[in-house]
Amino acid sequence: MFKEIQNWFDERIELTKTIEEFNGERIPRRGGWAYTFGSLLAFLFTVQVVTGIFLLFYYVPYFPIARNATYFIKYHVVFGNVLLGIHLWGAFTMIFFILIHMARVYFSGAYKKPRELQWIAGMVLFSIVVILGLTGYMLVGNENSWWTINVLTNVASHTPFIGGFIRIIARGGTETSVLTMQHIFAVHVWLLPGIVMLFIPIHLFLIRKTGHQGMALEYKNSKLSDDDPNKWRHPDATVPFFPDQFYKDMIVALGVFAIVYILAVVIGAPIGPMYRPLALNFAPEGDWYFLANEELLKYFPGHGLIIFPTFLIPSIGFGLLFVLPFIDRTHERSPFKRPAATVLGILFLLVLVYLTLMGGEPKAPATV
Amino acid sequence: MAKSSEESSSRRTFMMVIIGLISSIIGVALTIPVLGVVLSPLFRKRDIVWTKLGKFSDLEIKPLAPKFIPVYFKVKEGWSVNTLPRQVIVVKTIGGKFLFFSNQCTHLGCPIHWVPARQKFLCPCHGGMFNALGEVVGGPPPRPLYKWVHKIENDAVYIQNKFIDNPKDRGI
Ligand code: HEM
Ligand code: FES
Repeated sequence: MFKEIQNWFDERIELTKTIEEFNGERIPRRGGWAYTFGSLLAFLFTVQVVTGIFLLFYYVPYFPIARNATYFIKYHVVFGNVLLGIHLWGAFTMIFFILIHMARVYFSGAYKKPRELQWIAGMVLFSIVVILGLTGYMLVGNENSWWTINVLTNVASHTPFIGGFIRIIARGGTETSVLTMQHIFAVHVWLLPGIVMLFIPIHLFLIRKTGHQGMALEYKNSKLSDDDPNKWRHPDATVPFFPDQFYKDMIVALGVFAIVYILAVVIGAPIGPMYRPLALNFAPEGDWYFLANEELLKYFPGHGLIIFPTFLIPSIGFGLLFVLPFIDRTHERSPFKRPAATVLGILFLLVLVYLTLMGGEPKAPATV
Repeated sequence: MAKSSEESSSRRTFMMVIIGLISSIIGVALTIPVLGVVLSPLFRKRDIVWTKLGKFSDLEIKPLAPKFIPVYFKVKEGWSVNTLPRQVIVVKTIGGKFLFFSNQCTHLGCPIHWVPARQKFLCPCHGGMFNALGEVVGGPPPRPLYKWVHKIENDAVYIQNKFIDNPKDRGI
């Protein structure tokens, strides 16, 4: 019976062959666990989409009802707290592992020719995922959301020439209002997930085309010189994606999902107080992945300097990361044989961690 | 180094089992909260409230001349208190009894109209017909008009957002 169905499809569209071709992708053999992060991200994104869709059964993007709707999901919908918790902790986890994935790709030099395009598609994904996190934070409609919207749209307004327009467009008007929520909602729920769903397949297709590079340790037996780009196309040994690599991907996915689930059930998603635009004693705080930039903002006081942390440093930093493969054009892959890149990378991570920790410190004494 | 699936078929089987197991675990773990959220409305209690329709003396009902009087139920639903505007059709029988009908057709819930020339309620959707006492006199409706739960206190009529004799909570 099963065989017959299979034959029916095979006669027409060679289904079995297509699946085997897809599953048989060759993956470098030695570093399997290090290559699980990409799939993990795809998995986590799927979880975000599923949980997000079902949150929409109850959510309303309207200040301040949004927060009441969120409260309702958490306390009155059956397992709503679990769903909301998975969506929140899943988002945090995704941002964390996207950094890990980038670090793995960076330190193994996998962005170099011929894999520049993967890196760029990856950077698009990275930017979008971070904005997804920020917009999600705003949608809760609590006190932090309100101020985050204000602060970030003000940050955007420091873009030279068009900043003012950006702020108005992002807010749906000059004021932070109901329209602002509606805009953020559309962006968080339709626009950005749509782009991610477009770019993940592009990212994977490109990897398929160039083959996985993996890490330098996959090429120990190669006789070619390190400067020969051909060396980095043919790893010593490979395994098929399915089941060998996929099996590792699944184990990592389960481990991470278990952690997300436990955090969702035990800690859950804090909803925070209702927004009170008139409150005198409230100190807004960004999510953890935004604290580094928050901290940066404090180092540049005054009118002349504000453009550094709001526009110049983030955009130049992002710009440099985007074109990294075109700046670093050497062919060396091992992190030990390209000390400058490795040291820079480690320094960058240290600064990021430092700024994040400092950003978490209370800034101003709260009045009461 | 562990054998690859191509080198050992038992290793391949092992991997396949793990993949299957983990897929099921994740699938079930994710389905539980999703199902809970989707099925959640089934477990919620309906908010039932009394709402004043008006004083009898103000209603001015004549026998067999049905009068449509709006009532606004304030009901807790989800994250807010919703106003449910509903029509109460008050009918005074020849014998002086009062009936309080819903204007929802008992077929599939369209709003019925009173047509004085024919002394009938007509449903605009599929041609249901009811007489002034709410009995079906034509068309597909399976049962007489729904009656609101009501009470009379100190000459005032109170209506509840609930029908008498409506075990499946249709309409409302
Ligand atoms: C939603 C986000 C992302 C998803 C779903 C994703 C998915 C994947 C997958 C499945 C792989 C292959 C396995 C692996 O090495 O992990 C991969 C490789 C790669 N990713 Fe990503 N990725 C994402 C974000 C990024 C980002 C932010 C960057 C860098 C800016 C990036 C750059 C790369 C590169 C260069 C490779 C090739 C590695 C090699 O050939 O060894 N990806 N990605
Ligand atoms: S709904 Fe009234 S006849 Fe069908």
